[in-house]
Amino acid sequence: MTNSVHDMGGMHGFGEISREENEPVFHAEWERKIFGMMMTSLGPFQVNLDNVRSRMESVPPTTYLKLGYYDKWLITLEELAIEKDVVSRDALAALMAGQDVQLTRDVDPFPADGMLAFLATGATAARQIETAAVFKVGDQVRARNLNPGSHTRLPRYVRGHLGIVIADAGGQIYPDTNATFSGEGPERLYTVQFQATELWGNEANPKDTVCVDLWEPYLEAARTP
Amino acid sequence: MPHDSHDHTDPPSDLALRVKALETALTRKGYVDPDAIDAVVDTFETKVGPRNGAAVIAKAWTDPAFKQRLLDDASAACAELGFSGQQGEQLKVVENTDAVHNMVVCTLCSCYPWPVLGLPPSWYKSHAYRSRAVIEPRAVLQEFGVDIPNNKEVRVWDSTAELRYLVLPELPAGTDGLTEDALAELVSRDSMIGTGVAQA
Repeated sequence: MTNSVHDMGGMHGFGEISREENEPVFHAEWERKIFGMMMTSLGPFQVNLDNVRSRMESVPPTTYLKLGYYDKWLITLEELAIEKDVVSRDALAALMAGQDVQLTRDVDPFPADGMLAFLATGATAARQIETAAVFKVGDQVRARNLNPGSHTRLPRYVRGHLGIVIADAGGQIYPDTNATFSGEGPERLYTVQFQATELWGNEANPKDTVCVDLWEPYLEAARTP
Repeated sequence: MPHDSHDHTDPPSDLALRVKALETALTRKGYVDPDAIDAVVDTFETKVGPRNGAAVIAKAWTDPAFKQRLLDDASAACAELGFSGQQGEQLKVVENTDAVHNMVVCTLCSCYPWPVLGLPPSWYKSHAYRSRAVIEPRAVLQEFGVDIPNNKEVRVWDSTAELRYLVLPELPAGTDGLTEDALAELVSRDSMIGTGVAQA
């Protein structure tokens, strides 16, 4: 879902930023477990990061705001397991109630050594593309006013606004199609710098800027007046 | 039974029970391996964290050729020090100067350069930080005790794609003659996110 509360840039009302001295990496054993499960199960589940982000954003907005960070991971992984018929909602409820449930293995998990190797190398989203760049560094561009209703990484606060291309990161997996398994559909990624006054009006400091990474389909040439 | 000896009898929280149920199901179905879960968790609790990033910054402060490589291709430069991997495949280092103070946020989720900073602190993932960093960065910086003069640019980087940003803080004054290791001690996590500055 694109126009939901996860797209938070520029919202008011969340108050002061609460910080914790000497914060531990995880606050509870269940956070460790859900983090580890998410990291290791995406391969067997055959989903990609864009799809997972899309699932987390699709939590209804009233719920999203009430959930803690790893709560969203838990809900996302539960729903993924149920949707993929790995386990039923009833079976999860029974397990929670301490009952035994017959479940037989149907895939092989990602092993610890393979997981550590994957963590150390990662998997780049960069892709070779043949098409020539539509924009070049220094060009003035406008972020399109797109409201697709499905996953996108074009934040609302830049839509319709003018900025300057400051970098070309080449071809990159396009989240809008990758999230729905419609293909990686690589598109060129640009870093676009917006004046704070362009985004927020004259109250903003005229020196300040915001840089956002935007794929070519999110952008159009700025029309000269 | 004495009232204070309930170490192992406190009912687990609902979340803990749900996670346990899911873990049991996914383990039995073959979707997760408990040893792999432990290995991943151990990596982020004991091996990968902001000390990695601090080592990168300290080297950049003392080795101009490394600094140039870092600004040109941060992933390759960080890999020279052994820091690479997931959520750091395409690192970008942005340099603080007399004229620009950089600050990083992910307004849409919580993207963060794991190989050099580890997992993000709660505040970085908070609704307050994600919403405010782009619209009122100076107010946010003040909450963190950072005052940027009005005539200096605050440049906010919103990590909307798979590029991960690390701030190269300014070298504090009064650090002449310090070793790389001593300099690394001055580099806080927040100074590499841009909500802090390195201090001697």
